[in-house]
Amino acid sequence: MSDFDHAAIDEMLSSRVRLAIVAFLAGAGEAEFAVVRDATRTTDGNAGAHLRKLEEAGYLTVTKRFVARKPQTLLRLTDRGREALLSHVAHLERLLPQGGAER
Amino acid sequence: MNEEEARADIAAIRTALEQGRSYAAARSPDMIVWGVAVALGYLGTYAFVRGVSPVSPGVIWAAAIGLPWLYSLRGAIRRLAGAVDPGQRPLTASAMRMLWFGCGIFLTTLGVAADWTGEAQRGWFDAVVAGVLGIGFFASATLLKLAWLRWVAVCWWLGELALFSLRGHSAALPLGAALMLVLLAGPGLALRRRAPQPA
Repeated sequence: MSDFDHAAIDEMLSSRVRLAIVAFLAGAGEAEFAVVRDATRTTDGNAGAHLRKLEEAGYLTVTKRFVARKPQTLLRLTDRGREALLSHVAHLERLLPQGGAER
Repeated sequence: MNEEEARADIAAIRTALEQGRSYAAARSPDMIVWGVAVALGYLGTYAFVRGVSPVSPGVIWAAAIGLPWLYSLRGAIRRLAGAVDPGQRPLTASAMRMLWFGCGIFLTTLGVAADWTGEAQRGWFDAVVAGVLGIGFFASATLLKLAWLRWVAVCWWLGELALFSLRGHSAALPLGAALMLVLLAGPGLALRRRAPQPA
């Protein structure tokens, strides 16, 4: 615990909503905007703001398309986003006693 | 950040990951395609048996089984044709695919063997199909953490008993079609429409 470096925590993932979005997409691979919004219990505006930040950081890609004449926004985690999540989890685990993450 | 906050963050990440995996695994339209195709196979055979349709069951089942297989293997076919590999699938999605892929291979090979040897005429095969689909849904309920899928499995096993008791009787054909629509295409549709549980 003493070797934990606060500066090493990814600022982009310090937000619970952004962390949940990245983790959800890490499991799903890709998902529609509405699905991610519902999974993270946010509003359209809030989810949109967090997604823009994640897109600007290169953590996810946003693809807009039309399916049956309806607009659809598809979100996909990038390799950079996946690596950031893994790195963030590794940092969090350093805060726990040996094997503490298994509890 | 202290130890408790770190623990809470890790737990939240795990929950979100599981939701994502579950979502990815459940949204495939394969169940709907197979449910509708096999139901049409049963109804086509029933129409032939009743003298309503001249199309032989061999042709009907070749289409009712062959076309869904082409659909389910579309990713592999696209990759063979040079498309880019979509990369690593989430673990739950892979486990679901392999579970249902295994069920499909078993039922297709057994069905071909039963037809080849004339055993299919005795009517037991439909009950085996229902039993295997019950196993598939029972395992899927655990993989997707969806308890209601266990009830779908139970319904398939009850259907298995009904189909076995009707073996060799033409009434098994519309019953098989109904089971495919209600207990395979139906859950497939419900899974596609299901919103992920809030974190």
